[in-house]
Amino acid sequence: MPLTREEVAGIADYARIALTDAELDEMTTYMNEAVELLEPIRQYDLEGVEPTFHPIGDLSNVMSDDVPDTSVRALPIDVALENAGASRDRSFRVPSILGDQGGDR
Amino acid sequence: MCAANLDQLSASQIAAGVAAGDFTAVEVARAALDAVEQRDGEVQAFLQVSADLAIAAAEATDAARAAGRPLGPLAGVPVAFKDNMNLVGTRTTCASRMLEGYESPYTATCVQRLLDAGATPVGKTNMDEFAFGSSTESSAFHPTYNPWDTTRVPGGSSGGSAAAVAAGEVTVALGSDTGGSIRQPASLCGVVGMKPTYGAVSRYGVVAFGSSLDQVGPFGRRVEDVALAMNALVAAGRDPYDSTSQDCPVDFLEHLEDPVEGRTVGVVPQLLEAEGLSREERTAIQQATVALEAQGARVVEVELPNIASAIAAYYVIAPCEAFSNLARFDGVRYGYQEPGCSTLAEQTSLSRAHGFGEEAKRRQMLGAYLLSSGVYDKYYYPAQQVRTLITADYVRAYEKCDVILLPATPRTAFRFGEISDPTEMYASDMFTISNNIAGNGGISVPMGVGAESGLPVSVQLQGPAFKDRSLLTFARAIERSCSAEGVVAPAFAGKGGELQ
Amino acid sequence: MKKLAEVLRDWEAVIGLEVHTELTTLETKMFCNCRLSHDDEPNTNVCPVCLGMPGALPVPNKKAIESIVMAGLATNCEIQRHSMFYRKHYFYPDMAKNFQTTQGPVAFCMHGHLDLEVSGAGAAERPDGTGVEKAGDGSYVAPVRILRIHMEEDAAKMVHVGGEEGRITAATESLIDYNRCGTPLIELVTEPDLRTPEEARLFMEKLRETFLTLGISDCSLESGSMRCDGNVSLRRRGETRLGTKTEMKNINSFKSLHDALEYEICRQAEVLEEGGIVYQETRHWEPSRRRTVVMRVKETADDYRLFPDPDLAPFDLTDEFIEHCRERIPELPDAKRERYMADYGLKKKDAAQLAGDPKVAAFFEEALSGVGEKVVGTLANVMVNLVPSFPGLTVEQVRGISGLLAEDAVTFAQAREVLEAVSQSSEDPVAYVDAHGMRQSTDEGALGAIVDEVLGRCTDQVQQYRDGNKKVLGFLVGQCMKAAKGSGNPKAFNKMLAERLGA
Repeated sequence: MPLTREEVAGIADYARIALTDAELDEMTTYMNEAVELLEPIRQYDLEGVEPTFHPIGDLSNVMSDDVPDTSVRALPIDVALENAGASRDRSFRVPSILGDQGGDR
Repeated sequence: MCAANLDQLSASQIAAGVAAGDFTAVEVARAALDAVEQRDGEVQAFLQVSADLAIAAAEATDAARAAGRPLGPLAGVPVAFKDNMNLVGTRTTCASRMLEGYESPYTATCVQRLLDAGATPVGKTNMDEFAFGSSTESSAFHPTYNPWDTTRVPGGSSGGSAAAVAAGEVTVALGSDTGGSIRQPASLCGVVGMKPTYGAVSRYGVVAFGSSLDQVGPFGRRVEDVALAMNALVAAGRDPYDSTSQDCPVDFLEHLEDPVEGRTVGVVPQLLEAEGLSREERTAIQQATVALEAQGARVVEVELPNIASAIAAYYVIAPCEAFSNLARFDGVRYGYQEPGCSTLAEQTSLSRAHGFGEEAKRRQMLGAYLLSSGVYDKYYYPAQQVRTLITADYVRAYEKCDVILLPATPRTAFRFGEISDPTEMYASDMFTISNNIAGNGGISVPMGVGAESGLPVSVQLQGPAFKDRSLLTFARAIERSCSAEGVVAPAFAGKGGELQ
Repeated sequence: MKKLAEVLRDWEAVIGLEVHTELTTLETKMFCNCRLSHDDEPNTNVCPVCLGMPGALPVPNKKAIESIVMAGLATNCEIQRHSMFYRKHYFYPDMAKNFQTTQGPVAFCMHGHLDLEVSGAGAAERPDGTGVEKAGDGSYVAPVRILRIHMEEDAAKMVHVGGEEGRITAATESLIDYNRCGTPLIELVTEPDLRTPEEARLFMEKLRETFLTLGISDCSLESGSMRCDGNVSLRRRGETRLGTKTEMKNINSFKSLHDALEYEICRQAEVLEEGGIVYQETRHWEPSRRRTVVMRVKETADDYRLFPDPDLAPFDLTDEFIEHCRERIPELPDAKRERYMADYGLKKKDAAQLAGDPKVAAFFEEALSGVGEKVVGTLANVMVNLVPSFPGLTVEQVRGISGLLAEDAVTFAQAREVLEAVSQSSEDPVAYVDAHGMRQSTDEGALGAIVDEVLGRCTDQVQQYRDGNKKVLGFLVGQCMKAAKGSGNPKAFNKMLAERLGA
């Protein structure tokens, strides 16, 4: 069942990528071609096969000590804000969040 | 040592020459910058040349020598870094408008380790945008030209690093390999390119594409240069800033010249019959087989039954991880910010729409779809199960052999614009991708130029996890008998770069 | 709207809680080594990792993992040996990576429970015969299952400016401070086992006491280091299907939790009784107006594109690690309360009050050291009834005043007066009492003379007492006190008067 243009538009909306009408057409074509490429994955009987999310063998329980690092990685305020498109005083600045999800966090 | 062109020297010769006082690191740096000046106009391997950093690092090396301090194994060696690697004092753009002008406040561990070994940072190299591609054509800034034929692509995504080494602009360069992005351009540019085992080299400070697939590795014109760079990358042990990095306590130079006599090379007949594999690349495998057998290695056939599904598994896992990793580019803390937006949602969507190129958007869209609820169980989870099967295939194969010999790429360098369909481009990595899926190491070894095309052909060796030293030993064995080591693309050899 | 008691006779409220607790007592953030922020200037404690800069990678804080395992053990959870971190995606700049690193279907701690002892007026909220057995005094035990406790990272703070200050809807822009971003956060989710606002309040209180005792957080609802969302739905008594639930936010005190749930239960009952529909939505508690208002209607479930974080190695906790965490768990409030009751003969309520706050309990136990057996009860009484009014008191001062009270050298009223005077300094209460001539005599000889004098003088009252009006004793004690000019101990007078009159 191919992805419809509307479904692709919904994904673009979620992924915060504005697409023009022409781009949306191309993207829809691409998405359906790409998904077709993935078909082999669906041909398997994978009953009882564990997934490998991390190709790291038995490596587990990697942790660091609870010790502050205030010199090596800590960023001074001017450096922290240096690459920001907009800031005010010591903070990053964004336009109105009106219409955004997540406002109740 | 008498006057020579820098492109003729190996990394260890440069380091030894600097240590011995035959020439200074600053002289080497100036020669490298001169070579870049003379050659890069036609190659365009670099997005940024860091002349000041190079000279400063070289001066520090010379000062250390003058003070009698021990020099690192890469003392004075000119190196370049793929532009997804952070280096303070340079821009890290990932060849994207999204990060045009972005200056990272910190340096990647892999970069720092080469600098700590005494290397001289010449600059940052071009790439496919955010490493999405196999030709470097998706760079937002300019193409990079294959030094062997400038009408052709250098491969990708680490095309700039491969081309810079092939053109003799630097001795060593670092790239990153998510599905073949080191081995494929190395193959197309006729240089050695190694993707170590996942976890051997820290990913900290390398802009992530597919976190469970990405691995940093070196390019060189000699296997020995690659081994030397690998030593510098792993010698300090695992990186505490990368949870997936592991100790790799190996001296890669130590067994480099070991004979391969009595050791076993696996070949996968199924792969050699693959549709799309060119006659030249198939011939290269035969030549390498003969060469290894001549040196006493045993060649056996092995099977990788699930390898045909590797591309499908990859194009599930990689876009999902890419979508997630690139979500942070929203134009707030760094990166392109669309001007004049009145709401955050608008600013985010337009910054991402205009900051990212087409392929970057495609991959993220695909990932966002594949991770969505209901779809995840149809693709993502089974892809990770298939990953288990592919990994197990390799484990079984390596019970019968030390390394597997296979093509690095289906064909030699293609022309610009020749492959325009994105899904067709994905097939460029058909021989490399499975290794990223399994997390094993692999290396692309030049086999000279093809009789028909006159372009570099190559072979690939793959090995079990954390047996990367064997890869280098076998690569060296092939190099010894099949390719003139240290070859610079003929059109560029000796252009600028004289060591005075 | 109907009153809660009335509503709960006809309707059953099904309540679940989600409790977020910042591990404020740690030194550093969850996945980097930035210091945790407590009132720092914006963006003081930030680094490439917590700002989500390109190329940065997370490494989990070991002590945070230890803390959540301790929290799980203390709430009777099964500690999961194998679990992973996941990425939960949503585009909102309070998460620097536009995803939150959290846990997936398997959390470090699963399937725990806490038993709530509900008594007093609050116990009446739950009608009799609704799933719990009530004791004669109306008290009951409510078992509450805990679904899971998982580890995650907190978000940045956003300040919305322009328009009406602080109101999202009117703001023209927002300022982001990433100090809090990446602070270790544990989220506890209960099963929907709670049935009254009082039970919800008690659960939060008990959880807070437990986490405080573990020392993993300062657990401040007011400052937001402990945050609670309450879900509630109604169903007719006897109905087994669940109704549509609403979620309550902005709950920053125990009282708010209770009152918001009470309001919401009554509101939903009204909607349902009028034949209306309860919508699945997030509602905001407005304490000043004592009501909840709609924040967001959830039409469809959010799709967070959850998947295992490839940057973080999985966890396979060892027995050794879990035992190490278990060993670090101090005596928990329930056990401590039982011990106080058994060892010091304290009443349950008093014992619970002392045991509930680890600082108070530690103070109490320190004050007890070296104190004679006779003083213990008095000291506990002082801790419960006097100390809370005088926050600056030292252990020595508490010990001193308890000694004075135990030997009847001062009255309780005097003790309050003394503490009032010495609490701002470190002055010894004994020295203060002596310096101000407040010490009351318990000398039987001296006081006996006064008693005899009063008995001789107040013959009418003596007769009334002998006729059975025992209340008159108070008058006689007062007379003795007056005659002694305040320096005689009323208890001693009481005892001596009773003895003599009874003879």
